[in-house]
Amino acid sequence: MRTSFVLPAQRRSPLMDTQNLKPGSKKKSLFRRDLALALPLTSLIDAFSIIVIYLLIGTQSGGIETQVPGQLNLPAAEHSASVDKTMPILKIQKGIYYINDQKVSGNQLSAKLEELKKDSKDVELMIQADTEMKYSELDPIIKAGSLAGIEKLKFAVVPKQ
Amino acid sequence: MMSAGGQDKDLNFELNILPILDILSVLICFLLLTAVWIQIGTLDTKQAIGDNSTVSQAKNPPSLWVTLEADGSLQLSLRDIPQAKKLEDRIARTSEGVNWKVLEAKLQALKTQWPELKTSVVRPGAQSNYGDVIRVMDKLKQSSFEGVGISPLG
Repeated sequence: MRTSFVLPAQRRSPLMDTQNLKPGSKKKSLFRRDLALALPLTSLIDAFSIIVIYLLIGTQSGGIETQVPGQLNLPAAEHSASVDKTMPILKIQKGIYYINDQKVSGNQLSAKLEELKKDSKDVELMIQADTEMKYSELDPIIKAGSLAGIEKLKFAVVPKQ
Repeated sequence: MMSAGGQDKDLNFELNILPILDILSVLICFLLLTAVWIQIGTLDTKQAIGDNSTVSQAKNPPSLWVTLEADGSLQLSLRDIPQAKKLEDRIARTSEGVNWKVLEAKLQALKTQWPELKTSVVRPGAQSNYGDVIRVMDKLKQSSFEGVGISPLG
């Protein structure tokens, strides 16, 4: 079966050109222009396609995207659950509390958490804090959460293999 | 392209691969920028809320209380275990902090002895390290404790 419309005698490929090329050969000057196009584009496309497929599969993990500030060093845990839905995030950074990136003072915590509870009865709260933090900084959240009636607290961790 | 005369030698089909490469490069850049590199998980706790903390008629389930001292030593206390005396155990700290191996072994031993033990409460001190608190909770989850809670400071 004929696969090409180009006559076999006239068929030239950049790959063949590079194969014919020898150091010091006169063909070097003749095919210099062709050599510029003699990049192995097919293998490049193969590599690119593999990267695209890999990245596409990697982004289809089904997890919810959550923002974690770079300065925050989350603790690691082996038996963590995946984040499967969006929820309010309470972040503690250098002793300052943030609810959904909004700065909240310690004495406002309870009121803010009560508001969240009013909005959704089955509210879950994700706590993001640095691994080196002292428990005394977390304690106001535990107390405020309990007062507001928030039962489910989720501590953000880095899953350990 | 085919000439008017229909001669074969003028036919030269060469797929233009450069636009394909461009598209793939753009796709790669887009995916790299939007990719989530740090996957985070959560360690779930179920806290006692307002009314739950008051004295009620309901019988408390058997529970293990783990007190975490600031120096890294641990105290294990068993509560509401039927037909068993109150158990208190202490795990001394090592030079590196909490003795995780001993804690793991003790938790396994407790679970073997009392399989009905499914609730646990962690009681950290004010100066306890948050990372250690999370790790204690992780060890409890590892030892099949289903309900792990965290206690506020007294």
